[in-house]
Amino acid sequence: MEKEEVLALVLEAVEEWNQQADEEQRLEVSPETRLLGRNSKLDSLGLVNLIVLVEEKLADRYDVHLTLADERAMSQERSPFRSVQSLAEYAHLLLTEKK
Amino acid sequence: MTIEFMLDVFRESRQREAILWRDRAYSYGWLLERLAHWQAALAEQAVPPGAVVILEADFSPNAVALFLALIEHNCVLVPLTPSVEAKKAEFTETAQGEVRIVIDEQDRVRFERLPYRADHPLYAELRRRGHPGLILFSSGSTGKNKAALHDLTGILDKFRVRRQTKRTITFLLYDHIGGVNTMLYILSNGGTIITVQDRSPEAVLAAVEKHRVEMLPTSPTFINLILLSEAYKRYDLSSLQTVTYGTEPMPESTLKRFHELFPHITLQQTYGLSEVGILRSKSKSSDSLWVKLGGEGFETRVVDGILHIRAKSAMLGYLNAPSPFTEDGWFVTGDEVLVDGEYFRILGRRSELINVGGEKVYPAEVESVLQEQPNVAEVTVYGEKNPITGNIVCALVRLKEPEDPKAAALRLKKACRAVLPAFKVPVKIEFVDEAMYSERYKKIRLRPSPR
Repeated sequence: MEKEEVLALVLEAVEEWNQQADEEQRLEVSPETRLLGRNSKLDSLGLVNLIVLVEEKLADRYDVHLTLADERAMSQERSPFRSVQSLAEYAHLLLTEKK
Repeated sequence: MTIEFMLDVFRESRQREAILWRDRAYSYGWLLERLAHWQAALAEQAVPPGAVVILEADFSPNAVALFLALIEHNCVLVPLTPSVEAKKAEFTETAQGEVRIVIDEQDRVRFERLPYRADHPLYAELRRRGHPGLILFSSGSTGKNKAALHDLTGILDKFRVRRQTKRTITFLLYDHIGGVNTMLYILSNGGTIITVQDRSPEAVLAAVEKHRVEMLPTSPTFINLILLSEAYKRYDLSSLQTVTYGTEPMPESTLKRFHELFPHITLQQTYGLSEVGILRSKSKSSDSLWVKLGGEGFETRVVDGILHIRAKSAMLGYLNAPSPFTEDGWFVTGDEVLVDGEYFRILGRRSELINVGGEKVYPAEVESVLQEQPNVAEVTVYGEKNPITGNIVCALVRLKEPEDPKAAALRLKKACRAVLPAFKVPVKIEFVDEAMYSERYKKIRLRPSPR
């Protein structure tokens, strides 16, 4: 599968998140959107929700059960959860390894 | 004569109905005769006093008579119902059963010798006292089944004071502390045991109508099923005065809904454990989860948010686990409670508490919100490990009618978000087709599992 395909899927997850989130936690649907740190609208719970939405979408689309938030992700020098783009890249990496 | 006080009641009530079984009434006079019959039979079968007797049965005339005969014979009773069919061999071995009495669905009785020798030190203590015993197995939903050995004299003591009795369905099982308590309470006060063979909402409510039942001791899960099946619309429940609930936390939404439908029925919470027996309890009101607990022979205290109980009727110990009591005899229930004056509110088991980023979530609170949403039949909330927030809240939901899972999950999350703080809103909602309750009409809870 292509990187773009996974990115599109993460963007869909962002849209889904926006449907249930409180106003102040809604995100711009864009690869550049920050998910962590001062420039992010998400708190830790929001991030967890978004990650689970991505995991569910990956399971639906590719029939694989990936855990995006685990020790490995947490111990990366640069967090894969910085932005929509980096989250999509990390998901793509895990998918490729699984294949 | 451990049950002499009960026999006095029986003799006064010879003509009264003691047991209703398969639409036939059995009087207290019948019960007295049957008790004598089984006492003679135990002697004839050479069952020695102190013997450990496995009693495979459900509530029936002979199951009641034999329970009493075995008490009088100072035996150790080990009731086992069909709900533990798959574990009967294991339980019989754990209890070191010496004799087995099987009572079949037609109420026919069969005696068998077993190869075990009951030499557990706790049995020796009971024999030294010359008292009858009772073994109750914990449901073991969270691990192995523990065998709690009771001195029956302690359990029986609290029934010596006569109280008002009602026509009552023995809904809780014959091998459960709640079922045993219901039976002994009714008999000690000359009431009527109304048995049911089928414990579905339809069958139980049909029995209420037919036999003008006044009291139904049950569980929150079963009350939810009554509401869900709408079985209450098909039967006349005007005789019903009291419904009691216990064995698991009650979702507030279920309580309120039932109370709105049946304002004339008193809803009363009960509280008890296999290890200490059933406490006397009094709910603040029918639509309140606050309850007074205690009564003679029971002391309560709260340490670090957890309810502790010290009971005269506490078990001697487990046959297959170390003693759970503190040195000065307190039992740590594991139940988290709030306290307001003399009232307690039971929040749930600490082991089932979900810690989300340092905040506590009790499954019952989230279940209560989900339960009142449209198209929800049944729900179980549990925690799952997560490296970002420690744990996340997850829900398993059984729907009434088919619905797109994505749309349903979104709808339910939104509903939760409207009334709960964000950390209590389920992150994952999965849908199941199977019922999620046990044969004891209790929610089957999932343990938080590492991913």
